[in-house]
Parts: sequence; C-alpha cells; structure tokens
Amino acid sequence: MCGIAGRTLNEPGAVGADLVAMMAAQRHRGWDSTGFALYGEALEDAYVVRALLADRAHLHEDLEALRTVTREHGADFVEDPTWDDSGQTHVLARLVVTDPEPFSAWVDACDDLDRVELQSAGRALEIVKDLGDSHQVAAKHGVEHFTGTHGLGHVRLATESNVSPVAGHPFWARPFPDVAIVHNGQLTNYYTWRRRLQRQGYRFTTENDSELIAVWNSDRMAAGDSLQQSLERSLTELDGVFTYLLATGDGIALAKDRWAIKPVVAVVAPDGVAVATEEQSLRTLYQEEIDVEVHDGPNVVRIWPAAAPVAAGMAV
Amino acid sequence: MAAEEAEVVATERVIRAGDRPLREVNAEIRAAIEAGEHVRVTEPLSRHNLGVALPAGGEVTFDGSVGYYCGGLNNGATITVTRNTGWGLGEAMASGLITVDGNAAMSVGASLRGGTIHVRGDAGPRCGVAMKGGLIVVEGNVGHACGFMAHGGKVLCLGDTADAAGDSLWNGEIWVAGTIRGLGVDARIEEPPAEEVAQVRELLTGVGVSDEGRPWKRIVSAQALWHFESRDAQQWLMI
Repeated sequence: MCGIAGRTLNEPGAVGADLVAMMAAQRHRGWDSTGFALYGEALEDAYVVRALLADRAHLHEDLEALRTVTREHGADFVEDPTWDDSGQTHVLARLVVTDPEPFSAWVDACDDLDRVELQSAGRALEIVKDLGDSHQVAAKHGVEHFTGTHGLGHVRLATESNVSPVAGHPFWARPFPDVAIVHNGQLTNYYTWRRRLQRQGYRFTTENDSELIAVWNSDRMAAGDSLQQSLERSLTELDGVFTYLLATGDGIALAKDRWAIKPVVAVVAPDGVAVATEEQSLRTLYQEEIDVEVHDGPNVVRIWPAAAPVAAGMAV
Repeated sequence: MAAEEAEVVATERVIRAGDRPLREVNAEIRAAIEAGEHVRVTEPLSRHNLGVALPAGGEVTFDGSVGYYCGGLNNGATITVTRNTGWGLGEAMASGLITVDGNAAMSVGASLRGGTIHVRGDAGPRCGVAMKGGLIVVEGNVGHACGFMAHGGKVLCLGDTADAAGDSLWNGEIWVAGTIRGLGVDARIEEPPAEEVAQVRELLTGVGVSDEGRPWKRIVSAQALWHFESRDAQQWLMI
C-alpha cells in the first residue's frame, strides 16, 4: 500500500508546501520513505540535476568525478553544487549543468561512477526522496520552500523491495528529461516489459515496477504517441492493478487500470488541481466543502496541464 | 411544542473533528450518546473511521463529507452524512440507519449484516459487496459489480447499474428500477412477483421514498456457480 498525490498550480506558487501537507495526511499509507517530484521555473539552456552520492566521506571526490564526466560530454557545471548538510552517510546533491551531448550517454556515464546515481535531470524537474515521513524528508531537504508550477508526492510502504533512499518514489523516466512518476499498485507483466525495454537500451536502477511505467510511457511518446494515447495504451498493455500519476514539464496526468482497485480522487479548483489517493489529503488544501471527482471506476485517463487558466464554470 | 423543540436543541452536542486525533473524536461521540445527547460533528474533512461501532439509540450527524468506513460496525445508531462518503460506508453494520445526502464511494455496506443504508445520490463500485443481510437503498446509480458476492439482503437501486451487476451473487437480491447496463458472472434478471414489489414499496416508504409504478427488475443468482463443475471452468476463470 502506498499513497500518491499530484498538484498543479495556475500561477507558480508554493507547490512544495502543498505536497508536503498532502503527503503528511497520507502518512498512514506508508512512512518508510517519502518523495517529491517538483517542477520549478524551467531553465532555458541548462539542466537541473539531483544525484544521490552514497558516501559523504567521498563527497568532494565524487562531485569532481561528476564534473569530469560532464566536461567529457561537452558541458560543465553552471554553479557550485549544493547538498544536504544532514551528516548522514548518503548525500542528495543538486547540480546545474549546461547541455551535455549526447544526453543519454552522459546519464549512463554519471550512473557508471562509483557511489553515484542520478535521481532526476530536466529543465525543471527535481526529485527529492529519502527515508522518513513527509515532514522529516521536507525538513531535511527544504521541500516546503520550493516554489513551482506542479509536482508529485509519494509515501511508501515497501512490500517486496528494498527500503533505501533510492528505492522510494518518485522515479525519473531515465533518460528522458523532466518525466517522473508516482504509482500505487503492481504490475504482473513487469519482467516481460523490462526485458523488452532493456533490449532497446534502457537502464533500470531498481527492481521497482513503477520505474518501468515511467520509461514505458516515455518510450511510447518517443515513438510518436501523444501523452493521451500512451496513457490509454498502458491500460491494455500493462497488466496488473495500478493507479499512477505521470508528470512532464507541462503538467500531470493520471491513469488507472481496468480492475479499479487503487483509489484516486481529484479536486479541480480555480487555483489549480489536487489529486491524491485519499480525499482527506485534498482537504488539507481545501477545507471548505468542495466537489471532489471520485475516480472509482475502471480505465481512467486524465491530463491536467499546469500554469494554464482554468475554464470558467469549473467545480469549486 | 416550542418547549419540546428547545429541549432537543439543548441536548445537541457539537464535536469538531478537524485535525484532532480520531480516537478522541470517536470517544467523545460515544460519551455524548451515553449521556443521551444528539451529536453534530463539524469539519469532518473527509477523515476516515468516523463514528464506528456506535451503540443503539445514538443519533449522529456529520456536517460535511467523511472518508472511509464511516458508521462501520454500527450497532443500532442513526447516522446522517450531509455530503459525500468515502469507501466502505457502514461496513459490517449489524443494525441501525445510515443516511447520506450526497454520493457514496466504493463498497457501500460491505459485509453488511443488518440495518439500512440510504444513499440519496450515487453509489460507487461494489455496492453491497459480500453483504449478508440488511438493506441498501441508492436513489441514484450504482457503480460496477453492484452486489458482488452478496450472500443475502437487498440492494434497491432507483437509477441505473454499471457493468457486471450481481457478479458472483450468492444469494442476495439487487432490485433495479432503471437500466441494467451489464450483468456479472452467474447473475440473471427476473420479474419480481407483485407481493414482493409491494414489500419493496414498504421498505422504500420506510426511508421516505415514494414508489409507485417503478418498472422493477430483480437480479438474482443463476446458481450455476454454487457447485463447481469442470464444464463451468471457463466461467470460474472468466478473468
């Protein structure tokens, strides 16, 4: 059992604080790890990168190795890297780099470094995930101060795979910039798809089926599907029970399988959209009595762009 | 008359839910019922497990929307929700009455054993799943797999069903006044006898719904799955 949430804002605002509150209200759905995919102001000619460095004792050495790999791909750090000062062994670092060429080869080269794993890269996307509940992760990484247009949240109760800072959601659709996923459910044809995608050259850093769904959709879109087409295709080609939220630089999207077991509810409000596993998560943002879209039924696909005006007459 | 009304107002206890610990809220509801007071719960904020296992004689109103399992394990209390409810409304209720002025989400009255649940709006999927007895009245539509695996009791749907109505019904009944959009495995439709229609009319009158001339159809078990036979394996393995 996991809890997921998504948020879009029509004007850039406190999307970090909103998601922290929404995930805190779903803490009971999982508290071993919490993560956020946050979309700030998009950079024009640089990528913002979040990287997990496994050992603080080698922090500077590993950052230097990342800089070397980046230079080898014709790019460089735009500003000095920053990182959390928690003192814990693992470090979540934030880099801003000019455009490496080719991008996917640079991603592979970074991941090939010892003790280094990229968590996200994009014009706007920053994935922050760690052990602990919403408030613990937010306090450690300053999530509540993050301003932006949209984002995703996830609380995790690991049922099969490892509990570690890299095993939680959201997952980045490596190596597609700005695509992230949070997911509640499980796939039963995971290995079939994983082997197919690996043969195409995609790399997976975990044994987690959610990571696959993000890459699967990105691959479909790279092959020419629209976001809507890809989400609809996933309802028949992915097998299992799943409700997932996929985020791109433009906004967030929802897909829910034909068995309709994993709940999801949404509020479309004048200031933006909030979507979550549980309604009480939405009510942390909207305490007045509001109209909630309850997507209890099967085969649901929705797309909510961020930072776009809401049509008049939408439910409040 | 005026004096009586004043007395009713005086015995109402207002309890705020908000972000308070649920156990505290539920303990206060229970204490107020034991003190003979009517209870109004404000700011329920779609929170879960509100008003579970309430005793007979309790009268509780939730002013707004509630989350999962509201009124679960009810033992005879009268519960009203003025807006919508989440999953598992009145789950495993033994007796009492739950009225929802808005819509109810998935699994209304799951494992219901007795009492009445009355939803004025629509109900979500699996309404009456595995119910053993009691009555569920839905004035609007019901979601897919209404009455899934029901063992007993009645669902009265004044609107339409979605797909797979009565899927794997064991021995309950689903009465539908509107359109049946699809039947589940091992379910069949029959015309109910006039005397039973009259009984249903009385049940509806009991929750304040008039019923004259509705074109009732009744979904019951076709009983093919009561005993396993290898020739039916395809039905058992329908997924």
